Amino acid sequence: MSPNALCFGGDLPEAGAPCRVEVSSAGLLVAIQGLPDETIPFTHLSVTAGGFDQDQLVVKWVHGGIERTVYLKDPAVIAAFRQAAPPELMPHLERTAAHVRRARSGRRTWLAIAVGSILGLLLVLWFGSDLLVRMAVAQISVEWERPIGEAARGQFLAGQTVVKEGPAVAAVQDITKRLADQIPNNPYKFEVTVVRSDVVNAFALPGGYVIVFTGLLKKAEGPDEVAGVLSHEVNHVVLRHGLERIVKTLGIVAVVTVLAGNQEGLVGLAKQLGIELVTLKFGREQEMEADLSGLRLLHRAKISSDGLIHFFERLTDADKLQVELLSTHPMSAARVERLKAEAATLPKQEPVPFDFEWKDVQAGL
Amino acid sequence: MKSEILYPGAFPMVRVDLAAGESVKAESGAMVACSPTVDVESKMEGGFLGALSRKMLSGEKFFFQTLRASRGPGEVLLAPTVPGDIVMLELDGVNEYLVQKDGFLAGGEGVKIESKMQSLSRGLLGGEGFFILRMSGTGTLVLNSFGAVHKIALKPDEEYIVDNSHLVAWTATTSYNIEKASAGWIASFTSGEGLVCRFRGPGIVYIQSRNPSGFGNWIRQFIPVSE
Repeated sequence: MSPNALCFGGDLPEAGAPCRVEVSSAGLLVAIQGLPDETIPFTHLSVTAGGFDQDQLVVKWVHGGIERTVYLKDPAVIAAFRQAAPPELMPHLERTAAHVRRARSGRRTWLAIAVGSILGLLLVLWFGSDLLVRMAVAQISVEWERPIGEAARGQFLAGQTVVKEGPAVAAVQDITKRLADQIPNNPYKFEVTVVRSDVVNAFALPGGYVIVFTGLLKKAEGPDEVAGVLSHEVNHVVLRHGLERIVKTLGIVAVVTVLAGNQEGLVGLAKQLGIELVTLKFGREQEMEADLSGLRLLHRAKISSDGLIHFFERLTDADKLQVELLSTHPMSAARVERLKAEAATLPKQEPVPFDFEWKDVQAGL
Repeated sequence: MKSEILYPGAFPMVRVDLAAGESVKAESGAMVACSPTVDVESKMEGGFLGALSRKMLSGEKFFFQTLRASRGPGEVLLAPTVPGDIVMLELDGVNEYLVQKDGFLAGGEGVKIESKMQSLSRGLLGGEGFFILRMSGTGTLVLNSFGAVHKIALKPDEEYIVDNSHLVAWTATTSYNIEKASAGWIASFTSGEGLVCRFRGPGIVYIQSRNPSGFGNWIRQFIPVSE
């Protein structure tokens, strides 16, 4: 007869004596090796739950002056015990069973909470990272933003030829001013720099620094096209897309640093990024956002949005125009379609022409 | 399988005599020497997922090694990594031991090893981590400790308080609660005891006379800091 329980008592081993417990109608039959078998009537028994997990049935009794405790975990014996137990023992048994169930469900609850919170954290990090980034960016003031852009601009311009004056510079500044005047509560002072290069590109840095290549001005078929590109870039600045990319690139540490109120730390980190800022790619959603708000800004500035759409259309046909703009601004037919749809919703208006002659601008390049 | 502790004390070793075909499970890296009749097999107890969960969750080594006397009878010498006593326990199929991670040195073929999750409070505060090992089945179980092993026998409902980092193993009939060493939180930590486990019998609790993490902290002050 193999043992199925452990029996404790003053005369038994400290770790418990293996014993065989069986349930009969007369009571509990306990057979301990080396001792005579005993049958203990149910009326002598008291029951509780016990053991490391509180999932064992602990049966106690005093027989012939000796206190004995049996730890039962065999489900079959426990079931038989519950069936055979007299009514007066039932309340105790039910209470014990309830205790065991509570302990088990408690453990399951904790496990569920632990697994749930780990999954929750992962989900928050996965889907909430954009929100966290936006929250962090909102904490950064414009005064702190400028040194970041300034440092990146300084590094970029070090190897470039800057066009200081001329009709091109005046035209670009004129367009930018007309756009900036239409931005409500504009905290930025936009500074446009024209760089002599055949590259067809323009980009914006945090803090309001816009860089336009002469290549873009040469390829543009009119001031509306340049204005379209500038409006798009200006909106990257206003929507603080650059900062978002920086915070994302620097990662969660930057987010926490900024949210904890240490803007200086971020500026230091961002300055280290330096020239890489220029090549930071914006996300697809950011591009779309800048497209649409760029379009609306053009409308407010009474500049025809056809230029922007037309220029983008030519960009989608990338083979014709070998342009660097595409590497930082991936173009797609969907983007153009979205712009056309948005333009159709805006009220019709007569565009106000620019004060300069486009022919003079291109001739001066 | 017959086993014997050689050189009991700080630097013990276990000799296991195996009959032809018999095997012993041991912590990986525990084998010191063996007869040429003994083959070393790496085996993942409880299948790959079981082994993985043990590795990930309890910090126990991924693989146990199985030393099998496949070409005739032979003997195996086993030793733990840390200096300290070794205890041998007999599992009879009814009793079960809960063992802190790293406490397992070797066990007979019939010994079943599984990772077990503790409740949140025990896992967070007990100092044993969320997962401990549950040893059941039949056969000899060999545990190792840091320092000397002290056995505490508890009668039914008898209580005893143990510093959580000194625990080695305890029988499944005992249970414990985590509590502060002193009445207040500050006194608990300034006394250097922090949290303790209040065990309730019946059953046996094995404790070790040295605290591994305490020893680690002490020895750290002598390690030169590299640039």
